[in-house]
Amino acid sequence: MDTKDIQTKQLSGDRVEMHISPMGRVEGDLDLNIIVEDGHVVDSWTQAGMFRGFEIILRGKDPQAGLIVTPRICGICGGSHLYKSCQALDVAWKVQVPPNAHRVRNIAQACETLQSIPRWFYALFAPDMVNKNYAKTDEYDEIVRRFAPFVGTGYEKGVTLSNKPVEVYALYGGQWPHSSFMVPGGVMCAPTLADVTRSIAILDFWKDNWLESEWLGCSVERWMENKTWEDVQAWAEENESQRNSDCALFIRYAQAIGLDKIGRGVGSFLATGTYMQPELYEHPTIEGRNAALQSRSGIFADGQYYDFDQSQVAEDHTYSFFEGSGQLHPFDGKTEPIDPKDGKAQNKYTWAKAPRYNVPGKGYVPLEAGPLARQIIAGREGAADHQDYDPLVRDMVDKLGPSVFTRVFARMHEAPKLFAKVKQWIAEIDLHESFYTKPIEHADGRGFGATEAARGALADWITIKDGKIENYQVITPTAWNVGPRDSHENLGPIEQAFTGMDLTDIDDPVELAHVARSFDSCLVCTVHAYDAKTGKEMSRFKVGGGC
Amino acid sequence: MSPDTVQRAPGYVSPTGETVLIGCGNLLRGDDAAGPLAVRYLWERWGERVPPGVRVVDGGTAGMDVAFQMRGARRVILVDACLTGEAPGTLYRVPGDELEELPPSDGINLHAFRWDHALAFARWLLKDDYPTDITVWLVEAAQTDFGADLSPSVERAVRDLVARLADDLAGTDGAAPASATTATTDGP
Repeated sequence: MDTKDIQTKQLSGDRVEMHISPMGRVEGDLDLNIIVEDGHVVDSWTQAGMFRGFEIILRGKDPQAGLIVTPRICGICGGSHLYKSCQALDVAWKVQVPPNAHRVRNIAQACETLQSIPRWFYALFAPDMVNKNYAKTDEYDEIVRRFAPFVGTGYEKGVTLSNKPVEVYALYGGQWPHSSFMVPGGVMCAPTLADVTRSIAILDFWKDNWLESEWLGCSVERWMENKTWEDVQAWAEENESQRNSDCALFIRYAQAIGLDKIGRGVGSFLATGTYMQPELYEHPTIEGRNAALQSRSGIFADGQYYDFDQSQVAEDHTYSFFEGSGQLHPFDGKTEPIDPKDGKAQNKYTWAKAPRYNVPGKGYVPLEAGPLARQIIAGREGAADHQDYDPLVRDMVDKLGPSVFTRVFARMHEAPKLFAKVKQWIAEIDLHESFYTKPIEHADGRGFGATEAARGALADWITIKDGKIENYQVITPTAWNVGPRDSHENLGPIEQAFTGMDLTDIDDPVELAHVARSFDSCLVCTVHAYDAKTGKEMSRFKVGGGC
Repeated sequence: MSPDTVQRAPGYVSPTGETVLIGCGNLLRGDDAAGPLAVRYLWERWGERVPPGVRVVDGGTAGMDVAFQMRGARRVILVDACLTGEAPGTLYRVPGDELEELPPSDGINLHAFRWDHALAFARWLLKDDYPTDITVWLVEAAQTDFGADLSPSVERAVRDLVARLADDLAGTDGAAPASATTATTDGP
């Protein structure tokens, strides 16, 4: 972390207040304020500097505007936005979605997630592992050799090949990013046998040259036999190839530098689920969604599982730069911003609202979204035949607790798991059947659509009246994770994850970086423009006339 | 082109001799939409098709993918907005050989990848096949407000740029598509 991003203020005795702006390698304007006492983080506040106004952009627009606008919220998970916006409209317009369309949408969503896994690991998360604070750790030299940005051998292969899954996306979707091929009623593509064959070849190439050869050191099938933490530990010692894999190296080193002891967070989790079972969701409804999910939705709080019910979601704006205090369900959600100066006088400190979920018997509580959440949900007993039951990560969390280590592990575990699912879905496409049913565009309606983007639960709520969008709310996984305190003073998940940590060196707080990057926050909608601060004398490049 | 005896990283793509035009920016942020809109206007000007030897890409805010989209290209044209403090609508054309001094690449931020980061990354990704013919067009923004349209001065600058690009690319590997009329008048 760049030391010029950190401002430290002595409070009293051993207490210092640190303002870190920006968090770095986190999109958008995320600032962090922490109180550190004798190297121990005792309190923290995340501040999202940006105004998320896309709900305002959509009000009064054509119902399909969400399909165009929400994918632009993020250049990395735009396909996930497209998917869930489409599903919200499927529900609102009571469409019929042919099974083939579900298969292709599943493939597309999974490919977007598969692309993000190595990019996030090598380009965003792993570089902090080569921090000089760790130079005396066992295997440090090997970590540098493999994970140093640009020069690392693992970095090279992982990042260079990360594009392969989205080449598959583009085969079905025409392009990635910014495809518009998912529409209410299905998908606008007519894949041929050549497309199917090519997509299989590209995925196998990716598996052969990175997933199995570099990351796992074994076959996907062998990895998927691991069901417990003990299985994983035995796997890592089973033979040279596995022992020397990037995965096993990460597991050993992460424990050596204490990633299993930091970043616990709130310890309660949410998944909205994704990947529809085609024949169970031909007529999408809110009520029918949970049963049709292959990757299940659910809540895990205080050791108990609960079903996910979208009506129990609320956004608390008590500490956010919006009018008033309290919480509203997204169908009733309003976006009435106030001037941050006025807001600060009312103790408000961020643009982000605080999504909360009403857990039976516990009230509205913060929940963590992400790969760790959905892999814990996957460990819930009682899955239907078409649903993913996978006890591995639940077992690890029972034994090791949530942490940076288990969060990263869960995300990487999804690479072999989703790879196998995508191959299966491709095989199930029936080239002779339809991919789209033209919907009736009802003038009024209400819809809920959700998916699991790479970073976690992502959902839209749409209300249509007289053929226009009356209300549109989006809750992103980062909103769940990075949101502020609520009216009950519950800290948000990432605030909780920072609090209680020990910082080895407050001038280079690499532990904060590990935690932040394990959540992979994305504050959305950044401006891309090249600005004067970057230097470079530009006037000699001006082109005649100007306007 | 390097001989076949050179070791290639997996995923290597042979040069295609194409010209790739990539528009970068956020469609939801006012004048930051200049890049993707320029690409869109050009495509419409060509009758919703693209001349042979040319590929157009809506790069959006997908940073790292700009570098991947450059793979195989002989020539790259990037279009983006800028905030240098000049009059809104000011147009810059920055040639590739002026871009040798790129920002440090070790601080890669996947979510805030601009075109200059994309070029640094692409140099690493593509190595000997990094295209040497790179031009970056920048349009000075007036505002980057949520949901705002292009400011009038920026709209005019983008239309002007589209006319220049259409002329530039008309001679690429044989001509604009037969159906496109070049009589369209855009901009000032």
